[in-house]
Amino acid sequence: MKTLNLTRVSRLLILGLTISLGLTANRAVAQTAAEPVLLTSCGQSPGPVRLKIFLQKDAINFEYNLQAKAEDLMAKKKEGKPYKSIIIVTGASLKGMGAAGVSMDDELARTKALIAEAKKEGIKIVGSHIEGMARRSQGATAGDNTDEMSIDAVCNVCDLMIVKKEGDSDGRFTTISKAKNIPLILFEMNTEIEGVLKKVYNK
Amino acid sequence: MNRKDIIRKSLIGLAGLVIMIFAGISFYQHRHYKEQVVISDQVKVKKLGDYFAAIKGTNNDCNIYIVEGTEPGATMMVLGGSHPEEPAGRLAAWIMVENSHIQKGRLIVVLSANHSATTVTRPSGAYPQLFTIPTTWGGQKFRMGDRWSNPLDQWPDPEVYIHYPSKQNLAYMDIRNLNRAWPGRANGTLTEKTTFAFMNLIRQEKVDVVIDLHEAELQYPVINTIVTHEKGQDLATMASMTLTDFEGFSIGTEFSPKNLHGLSHREIGDFSDAISLLFEAPEPFLDATRGITGEKQLLEGKDAFVVKAGKHGLLYAPIDDNGWPIATRVGRHTSTILQVMTSWNEFHPEKEIVCEGVPKYKELIAKGVGAFLLDPKTAGAGKVIFE
Repeated sequence: MKTLNLTRVSRLLILGLTISLGLTANRAVAQTAAEPVLLTSCGQSPGPVRLKIFLQKDAINFEYNLQAKAEDLMAKKKEGKPYKSIIIVTGASLKGMGAAGVSMDDELARTKALIAEAKKEGIKIVGSHIEGMARRSQGATAGDNTDEMSIDAVCNVCDLMIVKKEGDSDGRFTTISKAKNIPLILFEMNTEIEGVLKKVYNK
Repeated sequence: MNRKDIIRKSLIGLAGLVIMIFAGISFYQHRHYKEQVVISDQVKVKKLGDYFAAIKGTNNDCNIYIVEGTEPGATMMVLGGSHPEEPAGRLAAWIMVENSHIQKGRLIVVLSANHSATTVTRPSGAYPQLFTIPTTWGGQKFRMGDRWSNPLDQWPDPEVYIHYPSKQNLAYMDIRNLNRAWPGRANGTLTEKTTFAFMNLIRQEKVDVVIDLHEAELQYPVINTIVTHEKGQDLATMASMTLTDFEGFSIGTEFSPKNLHGLSHREIGDFSDAISLLFEAPEPFLDATRGITGEKQLLEGKDAFVVKAGKHGLLYAPIDDNGWPIATRVGRHTSTILQVMTSWNEFHPEKEIVCEGVPKYKELIAKGVGAFLLDPKTAGAGKVIFE
């Protein structure tokens, strides 16, 4: 009888361990992405350049296109070299949108189509917010909600989030992560971005 | 007209004349006040007119300070005084000239990019004409200036300013705004000739990076930031990230719009090989909702009305009762210049610029701007230059 009980306990322990390891492994997999990468923006903020610098430094295979469209994903697929992941950096800049000659509505429409195509092609979508509270509507003038619009357009529907912790001071991204069950990687210092990208892309 | 009327009108006329005489003396003294700069043996002084003869002898024939390193390397140019109503830019450049020791490369500094605009203040703006930075040797006086060239040097303004060569229509008064007149033209206005001369300088001296120092009102969305031409995006971003992580203040980046013309960060990058960057620090003195526009506000950066505007969500930069003192604003500029040099060296190890002796943000806040201004009375012969 004692032996039977021990066996049951052992089995339960093994089952628990297996589930736990499995979940950990899933979480680890959920926090990784594959190359080649498309790096783009929703809101034309300068944030993507921060990622670009470290992607270059660590020789991660990526293409930089701040105004990437759904058609760009289709074209790469047609070439037989589809993107495996896309990073969309959120946060809006009036100067950036002015430089690109686009409006926030243009940005939202482009991003929506891009995400739809990425989901169709099974491309992993990484939503990112890099510049902290300065690139949140709390850092903008009354009535300017463009930063939050870009976050809503991307982070609610992405597969993984990479966010500067200071930009999550109000818990905005943590709330999305919990509500939508989206893994969230937070970093504190800008120089930590390199380590985050290395981990995500197994470099 | 009876006798009483004649006396009354004469007295009014006389009062007007007296006011005009005092105002005229005041304007004259401001226009001709000589600021002093102390240079070291490493500094050579040229004139802007050396790069474009039409500028020679005009009010914009400003000094060009060239600090030559002992080893070859990159050439960086710092422009102070594009908008002389933004004094942190001029003071940061002043500190660079008086304190820089260049080991590698070359530093070119301008203290009064629009010298004409240093000789006038905003009409009806109630600006102080001069301000004093306290020092251990008694204080140094500087001219407060305006955003636009002095109308005595360039007048009248057109109804619409058509920028050359883009043909973009800009506000009429910006025909006297140096930072709406790039890249300039040889047969244009004084302000356009000035930027034309600077473009010649940038090309002839093979400048790698041009940094234009500014300040902005807190109600302006482009603040606490580096505005960069597309050629400088990596450089500006690396500097911004490092400063935000390690220097004790946050600074962002913004891209220079391709369709907004006349600005240094756009046109210098487009019309020369140089990378063009523009720094913006916060200056509550410029806010429309400010209180008394005096020397105290200018130097301490404290203003209850601007703080109130912040509480109503009308500002793009934070402010509290501590304000934005001049040392903080100057320190942001000097630290950012030095970090741009360091980041440049990371990207271009074969062509470095190495600068020592310039105080950074924390040191400036701790000791004040005056601690880094040199006493002209103790300078050697030929080592005091007038701005």
